[in-house]
Amino acid sequence: MQASRARLFKEYKEVQREKAADPDIQLICDDSNIFKWTALIKGPSETPYEGGVFQLAFAIPEQYPLLPPQVRFLTKIFHPNVHFKTGEICLDILKNAWSPAWTLQSVCRAIIALMAHPEPDSPLNCDSGNLLRSGDLRGYRSMARMYTKLAAMPKKG
Amino acid sequence: MTTATGLQGEGLKVLCKFFAHGACLKGDNCEFSHDWKQPANNICTFYQKGACSYGSRCRYDHVKAPRQAPVSLSPNSSFRTGHPNRTPLGKEPAATQNHLSGSASSSRSLTSVTKPVWALEAHTSSFSRNENRPHIVAVDPTEKPICSFAAAGYCPHGDKCPHIHGDLCYICGKNCLHPYRPDEREEHMRMCQQNSKHLEALRHSQEIECSVCLERVLSKPAPSERKFGLLSECDHPFCVSCIRNWRSSSPSSGMDVNSALRACPICRKLSYFVVPSVIWYSCKEEKQEIVDGYKDKLRSIDCKYFDFGNGSCPFGTSCFYKHAYRDGSLEEVVLRHLDTDDGKTMIAKDIRLSEFFSGMHL
Repeated sequence: MQASRARLFKEYKEVQREKAADPDIQLICDDSNIFKWTALIKGPSETPYEGGVFQLAFAIPEQYPLLPPQVRFLTKIFHPNVHFKTGEICLDILKNAWSPAWTLQSVCRAIIALMAHPEPDSPLNCDSGNLLRSGDLRGYRSMARMYTKLAAMPKKG
Repeated sequence: MTTATGLQGEGLKVLCKFFAHGACLKGDNCEFSHDWKQPANNICTFYQKGACSYGSRCRYDHVKAPRQAPVSLSPNSSFRTGHPNRTPLGKEPAATQNHLSGSASSSRSLTSVTKPVWALEAHTSSFSRNENRPHIVAVDPTEKPICSFAAAGYCPHGDKCPHIHGDLCYICGKNCLHPYRPDEREEHMRMCQQNSKHLEALRHSQEIECSVCLERVLSKPAPSERKFGLLSECDHPFCVSCIRNWRSSSPSSGMDVNSALRACPICRKLSYFVVPSVIWYSCKEEKQEIVDGYKDKLRSIDCKYFDFGNGSCPFGTSCFYKHAYRDGSLEEVVLRHLDTDDGKTMIAKDIRLSEFFSGMHL
């Protein structure tokens, strides 16, 4: 408990210090609870998610960093490895390939990389996975683009 | 012998250490002399026992042989035939014991043997030190101690100091090299070199951070945690507590122990053991030195699983701890290598007849 708090505090200071280091990631700690964080990440360019801002919710276990944080998308996203309803993310480093050397910042980076490189063979969103696996790139892109525009972009006007 | 008995009559012979510092609480009842004319006994007891950690900086005399031939109750003893200060140190205890059991009163317990030589002398008869001392000091400069003030950095007497001032050690910058004791000089230089290397290593270890807790390892709040954990196969720094916690955490579902827990959290290289160290190394040789030192230390500790042959150690021949029986003999294991179906070799252990029968499919 004490160790996780100390480590999160370190990460918090690091985030404050290097706010400008990674313009695609904005990590915000809950005002009253250091075990709850939210992150805003920008959709990577040259993907259907470009231009969108996606919100992630972090729930950090007390045994952190021995256990990975639980991360899910709060913003709706059409992606083969993200559950369409719950926002759950299928990513090895959040499960069995976790290592205590990862930080919240690097987890965000990994999620951005996952958005750019979907893994259709272990889908949480079967529709999206099937589109990709059947080679219907155009179908996948237009669906993902539509949801990005609907959910992840500020409404105009 | 006449001088000896004469001295014995006086009773007091060694200058009281406390008196010399102006702080003896026993006053007239002190068994040591409160007369400045008496010689001070300044022998280092640790040196007598074989190891004084102060080395040449010790403020007591590092005398190679008992220069007052401890309890030579019998003048015919072989002890005194040679030049006293050329007697090998190792012979002394045996000789002392002989004298005690032979001629000292039987009521004296054996523990008195371990007492410092001057204490022994004070209780038993005494002689020969005054007759020996001046002429040894005059003859052999190696017997003379160097000035401890100069050795510690500054001597207020300067050139008028009655003691020899040691030569300057260029590493620690103190006058602590005995001019006539080459062994001690060498030892000091070696220690000094080691110390300065250690300090240097400690200095740049200060900056190194653990990738698990993100803190500087040597600045952790708990002193017990200010230690590095070295992985055998890679060079990523961690606190020993962090890396051990991680390696011993229970694997969650689908987690492979070897590829996740026992791997380095950064490079995922598999390491089978963690070595604690207070300093971080800067080259392969230093790392090897730390690892070897650690293994040597463990090898001197009896394995609690092996339990002197009563138990069985799951680590077998790979165990770092000592596998020795009560009589001190080490466990000897001849490994049996078996070829398996897939062409690999495995090491057979604990083969039971029941396993053989169950494999027969009768």
